[in-house]
Formats: sequence, structure tokens, C-alpha cells
Amino acid sequence: MKEKLARLFSPGSVAVVGASNSFDKLGYHVMKSLVGNYRGRIFPVNPKGEKVWGLLSYPSLEAIPGDVDLAVVAVPAGMVGETLHACGRKGTSGVVLITAGFKEIEDPVGASLEAEIGGVAGQYGLPIIGPNTFGFVNLSCDVNASFTSEFSRIQKGGVALVSQSGGICHLCGFLAIEQRVAMSKFMSLGNRCNVDFPELLEYLVEEDDSTKVIALYIEGLDEPRRLLDVAKSLKGRKPIIALKAGKSEKGDSASRFHTGSLAGNQAIWRGALRQAGILEVATAEELLDTAKAIDSCPLPPGARVAVLSGQAGPGMIASDALEPHGLSLSRFSEETQRRINDLLPPIAIRTNPVDMGPAWYNPGNIIEILRAVLEDEGTDGVIFLAMYASANLKLAEGMVEYMKAVDPFRKPVIACFTAPPGIWDGPIDALDRKKGIAILPTPERAAQAMANLWKVSALMNAEGVGTWDR
Amino acid sequence: MGPLMLSVDAVTFLEEEGFPVLRSLLAASEDEAAVKAAEIGFPVTLKLSSPDVVHKTEAGGIRVSLRDAAEVRQAFTEMVSAFTSGNPGKRLDGVMVQEQGWGAEVIVGMLTDPQFGPVLMCGLGGVFVEVMKDVSFRLVPIERRDARDMLEELKGYEVLVNPRSGSTDIAAVEDFLLRVSTFLEDHPEVQEMDLNPVFVSSRGVRICDARIKTG
Repeated sequence: MKEKLARLFSPGSVAVVGASNSFDKLGYHVMKSLVGNYRGRIFPVNPKGEKVWGLLSYPSLEAIPGDVDLAVVAVPAGMVGETLHACGRKGTSGVVLITAGFKEIEDPVGASLEAEIGGVAGQYGLPIIGPNTFGFVNLSCDVNASFTSEFSRIQKGGVALVSQSGGICHLCGFLAIEQRVAMSKFMSLGNRCNVDFPELLEYLVEEDDSTKVIALYIEGLDEPRRLLDVAKSLKGRKPIIALKAGKSEKGDSASRFHTGSLAGNQAIWRGALRQAGILEVATAEELLDTAKAIDSCPLPPGARVAVLSGQAGPGMIASDALEPHGLSLSRFSEETQRRINDLLPPIAIRTNPVDMGPAWYNPGNIIEILRAVLEDEGTDGVIFLAMYASANLKLAEGMVEYMKAVDPFRKPVIACFTAPPGIWDGPIDALDRKKGIAILPTPERAAQAMANLWKVSALMNAEGVGTWDR
Repeated sequence: MGPLMLSVDAVTFLEEEGFPVLRSLLAASEDEAAVKAAEIGFPVTLKLSSPDVVHKTEAGGIRVSLRDAAEVRQAFTEMVSAFTSGNPGKRLDGVMVQEQGWGAEVIVGMLTDPQFGPVLMCGLGGVFVEVMKDVSFRLVPIERRDARDMLEELKGYEVLVNPRSGSTDIAAVEDFLLRVSTFLEDHPEVQEMDLNPVFVSSRGVRICDARIKTG
């Protein structure tokens, strides 16, 4: 399975079954995603035999002259069975089955069709992503096998998102573009015919070097232990974070047992995810922020944080956000304090949280303060906050210049650079996700992401959950 | 094992399985209660044993800290007459005479979830579990680290480690959770279980009351 998945995600050739020139067909949009982006061979399959998106099309899979590694299928549900037989006979490594109308529909015909395609897939050992999926995007090698071409705009990086919902992928994908979350793989599993969370976890952890962190969106599973057992067996290899939807907390009120009446599904999920070493997050925003921070920053050795802020207020709300997340403000050593005092005049607060306002016009001093604090053994990570003001226009650009000669940080730096659109865009892009820095939109989100870095580190090192919940 | 085991039966069964329990003996009469109490050693607790009463505290079916034979006799008479007049038609097996529990009260339970299968729960007893639903879950089987996490996750964890409430032997509670997990693996017929309360203290862990459903 892992070898076939590797070829499915990085195919040398792709056939699009149901490829179309008509905007109303999903096969049109799949072609749009591939053409001009994917570097391998594209074979549109269309019974009319006309050119599709300017490419020669084939009346059937059999008619294609070379190997087909991946078939993206977008034909009516009733034709899927025969199409899968053709894929099997052709020796295709895997299928993305975009077609909907299977077990997710009320009509029992859907469930019987789903059973049929499961049988055909089993006959040929054919991995199927879907049915009822928008597809997948492999950003590491420019394969957009989905019906949303804009996902190709997501930056290449180390975040793999595996979702039980196509809608959540669309939410997270566009937010990722806007907030510079860089991804390796990005997919919705649809009805999970035979490629489910456990298969993907094994592939992403063991086979996929481009993936550094795995983000899951889970709605509900018939056999959650399969996922949890695989995650547990892979514990400590790559960070796994999960957003679990369905927050019903109700236990079985009819139970004559205390335990039964207290056991809500969500509470069991919470315990089971932790047991498997998976960090649970509460929102889509937190899922993305956390994934981005893990992808961009080293994991912190502990929970003691320094807050360096250009203005006192944002530093205060970041500091306030530390404790509820289980973090604390670090205390600087005498040596660190002396270095800060050399770089900052005594017209602002120089202890943690540091008000760096007086150094605003000297980006070099700002970064030297950052370095001094990161070198302090009593500090495990830094939250760095810079709000634009007309007079500090050159700060961000100056930091970019100065950072060129600085070695990558060995502890996480989560930063906010807040400016009117268009003003600091270039420097923000140049600083973000480089040398151990991740940029997030607000001080509170920075604090939460820092806490999650520490929690992921604790889960991976089997250090226990300590006081997270109190 | 029957389909539903309550109080004395469940506690006795668990004792036979090697779990630490508070010593419990069933008494049918005032005289018998006094003799059994002396055998166990004072102070003792008396509990009504009726298959028809689920929540003994609410039904006035528990009397604690009885210091001598006279107190035991008086409590026995009062409990039985209150039960008979207040619950016409309900069955009474007798009164359970039990060694007095000591320390913090904990609930340890198990349920069989349709998706997850056997799930272990633990929480602090009394108001913590009833009002705050301060409980934690793990899938069976658990490892030592899970046992520790289950306790540390509780919002009321400080109650267990606070010396003012008599600090608890946390390692003994972890051992206990691990033993429950092993017991559940060895007994797949157990469908639901409440060990409630379990007394935990610096002296270790003792099961006070239990109910077990098998299937």
C-alpha cells in the first residue's frame, strides 16, 4: 500500500477520466488544475475523442499508449465500477475518485454502489482516495489532482493536511495561502473506500520526507482504534495534531453506571488522542497556526517564554495569554539582563516582558536583544511583537537585512508583524518561516501556538501532560 | 459471574481477583451486625444492601464512623425501619458492615463504547464527579504514563497531592489503574463497571463499593 500511495501522490503520468471542455463538468476543473502546473504526462480520457484543454484525448484508458500512474475519475456514479476495472487492467497505481453519490447519500443505491467499488478495488489492490472527494494536492512536486486549481498557490513546505471533509480543506487551503502556511500534501479522504487515516499516517510518517507535521481533521470514525493504534506505534517520529469535530459531551443518560453516564464521545476522543500522542486542537485556526509553527520552528525544551514587544500593550496581552495555556514568563539571567541593558536605554521596561520601543530605529539592536534572550538557558521560546507606525517603517526591512548574517535560531520565535496591507508585505514574507521564526496574526494566537509547540514536544518525548488542563 | 453484580457481591469478587478492598460482611440482624463490626474493628460503616436502591446516599442508606457495638446496633435498627416504612415492597438483603474508609474518594470506572470498545475512566469522587464531571478517559489497555496522565489531567488533582487533605500515594493509585486495566483485559466479559468510591490515601488504595455488569 505504501509504495502504491507513494506513486499515487507523485505520479509520472495522470489520466483524467471524464476530462471535459465544459465548465459545468468537474473534469474541466481537474484539467485546469493539472495543465500548466503538473510536469508529467496528462492523458485526458473522453469518449468524444476531441482535444481537451488543448491536449489529445483518448476514448478509453485502454487506448492510452503508455503507463498511467494515477487516474483521476470524475464520471457519473453508475460508470465508476467499469472505470475502476479499466484502471485495474491498465495497472494504474492509484485512483482519485471525485465522483459523489455513494454511501453518503440517502438513497440505498449509493451504499450498494460503494460496496461494488470496494470489491473492484480489492480485486486489483487499487488504492482509492475517495469517493466523494475534491482530490489531493501534492505541493512538493506540483501535482494538483483536485478540482480546485487555486490550491496550487499554497506555498511548498512541511505541513500535510488530511481531512475527512473537502469543505474544511477549502477553508484551510485558502487561509493557508493568506497566512503563509506552507504545505507538502493536502487532501480530503471523502468516503475512505480503502485509503483511510491509518494508511496515510503510515505513508506520511515513514515514506514522505517532505512532510514534517501532520494535521488531521476528523469528524467520526467507525473504528477509531485503527487510527489511534497506528499513531501510537509511530509516536515520537513526526508531530501529529488533530481537530475533532462533533463536540457533543452527553454520556448515556440511561446508564445505571456513573461511568456510562459521564462518558461523552468527545471526552473519550480527548483521552484517546492524548494516549496516541496526538495533540488535539479546538479550531481550524488553531490547527493551521500550530502546524505552521511546528513546520517553521524548533520545538521548545520547556514552557518558559520571553515576550519582546515594540509596544507595551501587545506585550501585556501576550503575557496574559501565557498562563492559561500552561506557559510562564521566563526570568532573565544577570548576563542576559546586562546584554539587554547595553542595547536598550533605561526609558522603558527592560525585564520580561521587554518593551523594545527605544530600540525601534535600530533593527540590529532589536535582533541582538532577541539573540541574547534566546541564548539564555532560562528561556525556552520567544514571542516577538512589532506593530507598524509611520516612524518605524524601515524596521522590518532592516531586520531582513540583519537576519541574513544570523544563524538559525535553536529555539522557537513566534512573531507578529502587524501593518497596513502592502506596507511590510515583502519583509514579512522574507522573515516568515525562516531561521526558526513563524509569523502569526495576533499576540494571543502567538501564545497559543507557542504553548502547542511545547505540548507537542512533551507528547513526543513522553513527558506527560502535566498541568495543561488546570 | 452474574449479569449485574452489586455492592457486597462485586466487592467480594474484586477481592478474590486480588484487588485491595475495604473489608465488608453482610449482616441480617442487629446482633450479627455488632459481631461482624467487632470482627472488622471499629470504626465501621453500615450500608443498606438492596437490589432496588441505586443511590444509597440519597436513600439514607449509609451511616459512617460508628465507634462501638451500641452505635452499630442503633444504626442498624434505624436504617432498617426507615427503609421498610419508606420503601414498601422493595427488597432488602441486609446491612453491610464495612471497615471505615480513609483518605480521598476516587471513582474508577469502565464502559464499553460502541466505537472505542473498553474505555477506562477515573475521577475524584463526591462533588467533583457529580457536579464538575471532572473525569479523564483512556482506552484499555493503558500504560503507566497513561495512568499518571489520567490523574494529572483532573482539575482536582491538587486535592490528591495537597498535604492538607492528607497527601495520597500517587504511585499506588497509578498501580491500581494499571491493575484495573489488566483485569479488564483478562475479563472481556465485563461490559460496565463502577468502582465508586475508592479510598486513596498515604496508606494506599481500597475499593469501598462497586458494581459490575457482564455480558
